[in-house]
Amino acid sequence: RMKRQTGNNVLPKSYVMSIFKHFAKTKVASDVYPVINEILEKYFNRLADDLEAYATHAKRKTIEVEDFELLMRRQGFVTDRTPVNVLIEKYLPLEYRKLLIPVATSGNKVIPTQRR
Amino acid sequence: MDDSEAQKQRLKAAVHFSVASLCENIAADSEKQFTKQTIAAIAETAFRQCDIFAKDLEAFARHAKRHTVTMDDVKLTARRSTALYNYMQQKSEELASNNQELKDKRKKNAAKRKSKEMEPDENEVED
Repeated sequence: RMKRQTGNNVLPKSYVMSIFKHFAKTKVASDVYPVINEILEKYFNRLADDLEAYATHAKRKTIEVEDFELLMRRQGFVTDRTPVNVLIEKYLPLEYRKLLIPVATSGNKVIPTQRR
Repeated sequence: MDDSEAQKQRLKAAVHFSVASLCENIAADSEKQFTKQTIAAIAETAFRQCDIFAKDLEAFARHAKRHTVTMDDVKLTARRSTALYNYMQQKSEELASNNQELKDKRKKNAAKRKSKEMEPDENEVED
């Protein structure tokens, strides 16, 4: 929070720009970074706000995975046709996938226990 | 399949009718006319918005481990727009106070009924 108040970056510039360029698929001028940074800051603030509301709605003080799932559902990323696991497989690297999808690490168990 | 389609058309017609009467009120107030196409477009938008609302409300209720959608869920859908949220807050308080009054009345009635029940040959309807 202190960092943000002094006008620093939400995420490292090189990281943000590499992701942005990957999805933009065209040349991206470097002076768009301040704009993206501002948008990201707003996005994260809003995200935190929403997650807090959802957690209190479920009478919890801790934000859990289901809160985030609900948020992504409301944002339209998760639908009945694209469940969370599909998104995880599509966008996250292998080590995070292993962490989030129990089937990937459960060995021969048919019904793995959910990591929640 | 055909039946559900017919049901959907009926629902849409009902929405269209309500939207048309609301638009008529607005037109009378602001002295501007709505074209038929505009009303149809608003009706269609309202219909689809209901779809989104229903899904959100269901997700919110399930999130709070309930099977019934409550006022809390409805308020949560309007959280993003402050004006709407305040309006709904006010309305929900009105509703709550009305319900409280009704409950009090019912309690009084129940108390009366109980005193009546003491007397024999008294048939009354349970609610």
